[in-house]
Amino acid sequence: MASQLSFAGFAWKNLWRRRLRTFLTLGGIAMAIGAFVALVGFSRSFEHEWLRLYQSAGTDIAVSEKSILNTSLDESLGVKIRAVPIVERAEPMIFNLMDLTPDVNAVVFGWQADSYELDALTFTSGRRFCNGQPEILLGDTLATNLGKKAGDTLEIQGTTFNVVGLYHGGSALEADAVIMPLDELQQLSSLQGKVAAFHVRLRPAPAGEAPDKYVKRAQAEIEAALPGLHATPAAERAANNQLVGLAHGVAWGTSTIALIVGILGIVNTMAMSVFERTKEIGILRALGWKSWNIMMLIQTEAAVLGLVGGLIGICVGLGALRMLSVMPQTASVVSASVSSLHLLEALGIAILSGLVAGAIPAWRGAHLSPVEALRHE
Amino acid sequence: MNSPQLEVRSLCKTYDEGRIEALRGVDLSFDAGEYVAISGASGSGKSTLLQLLGGLDTPTSGEVLFENAALGTAISLDAYRANRIGFIFQAFYLLPTLNAIENVQVPMLALSQSPRDRAQRAEALLVEMGLEHRLKQYPNELSAGERQRVAIARALANNPSILMADEPTGNLDSVNSAHIMEMLVGIQQQRGMTLIVITHENDIANAAPRHIRIRDGRIVS
Repeated sequence: MASQLSFAGFAWKNLWRRRLRTFLTLGGIAMAIGAFVALVGFSRSFEHEWLRLYQSAGTDIAVSEKSILNTSLDESLGVKIRAVPIVERAEPMIFNLMDLTPDVNAVVFGWQADSYELDALTFTSGRRFCNGQPEILLGDTLATNLGKKAGDTLEIQGTTFNVVGLYHGGSALEADAVIMPLDELQQLSSLQGKVAAFHVRLRPAPAGEAPDKYVKRAQAEIEAALPGLHATPAAERAANNQLVGLAHGVAWGTSTIALIVGILGIVNTMAMSVFERTKEIGILRALGWKSWNIMMLIQTEAAVLGLVGGLIGICVGLGALRMLSVMPQTASVVSASVSSLHLLEALGIAILSGLVAGAIPAWRGAHLSPVEALRHE
Repeated sequence: MNSPQLEVRSLCKTYDEGRIEALRGVDLSFDAGEYVAISGASGSGKSTLLQLLGGLDTPTSGEVLFENAALGTAISLDAYRANRIGFIFQAFYLLPTLNAIENVQVPMLALSQSPRDRAQRAEALLVEMGLEHRLKQYPNELSAGERQRVAIARALANNPSILMADEPTGNLDSVNSAHIMEMLVGIQQQRGMTLIVITHENDIANAAPRHIRIRDGRIVS
């Protein structure tokens, strides 16, 4: 069978003709999409891990001041929260990011020894800690990275703690974390009597009341009982807390800059290509190609650049995420798993970037006069 | 009496804001199936006339009529070039990234045909041009005569009713020139197409049943 020429095949041959330029452009868009997959994937996985942190423990609502970063609530407010009839449990907590070794840092949670959140952990060895004792629990991933087991000691900010147990948590944030008695972390952070939030578990919802409506009602009741404080449903807290917001902002900001650079690369490539192929465009017009045929050809070339660059970028981004997820410095907040929706989104952005970048060169090519184009040398 | 297939009335074309007059009030008509040679010295306006006849450009004043319909108003220039006209150029203008059979398929990409039909038609046209052994050769692997035969096959791809050739033998030696002209005339007669050849070679111009001479933008005979 004779070789068939398709529109896409023609576009690919045009790109293949100038391989070096095509590869450089693909490199640019691949880096941009790689950054998007890795950074936005990271920030979303961070948000997801927060949500799992709440869900695995059965926390329905977090009570705090406006910012998650403030550790300024009086621990004594717990009594008032627990007095709200709809509240079953209210556990004070604080957290901090601390250097454990020169290479390893981790989130350190301060909980009370009888917190319901400890019930959600699966102990792989050892036991729970006791309040007021220099005792800590290590997540299994962190313990492996540090080479620690139950019975060992670990020095944190000049204080020696006994590792009394190892656990497996429901979230990567827990798996790579240290949990210690609330009072010990308050002392270590010079925040005696202060907490960052109260994690609230509600009483079971009455029959017939939808869970989300029940949580809304609880939110209103708690805020009415404690004016000035915010009671935030767990999912909202996971999505909207300042740390996740910061991660999203940095991820989208960096990705957008990378995408703009990638788009400019495609614009340059397509503009050069249209200029160099002016005579060819004139030939195509003479052979009966309409303006929109020319536009489609150039846009197909730009979209192919976006598509191939996007596919390479996805591989680069997944590779980067995998690397980050095993590095001790970042393993606590990065999961290597990425949703297929995120990958489709990356591919869509890559193709859209190609089309946006190709639009002006395509319009210019399509509106060349056939005679002028044929005269072009 | 039948109306002409292609007609130009009071055709003028100027460049450089009117300072250069390439065509000055040309009136001409072409019947369907006619073989016409247009000759003239360099700069006489013959290529400009072909560009206007072929819908590659628009006149400054006057009009071009195809089957009594004005180009650019009653018929779009794009549709006219795609469906009615086959161009053959002196410099062949084959696309270097495509092989012979792919080059012939290029005009068909502008119309709605299946890839299989396009490839089959391109192959049949190249076989008709005697190039069945050169289907997969790229332009730089073909001789000048072969390239012009591929260009002829490409001009026939969309089954046009008029073939327009701008100095089709200008880049060929005498043997290949004779062969190409023989081929073009054969196609014109066999298919009943209109053939308009622009040439500065007297032998070719005089061999045509109708010979139009152009000088300084005017028809002189």
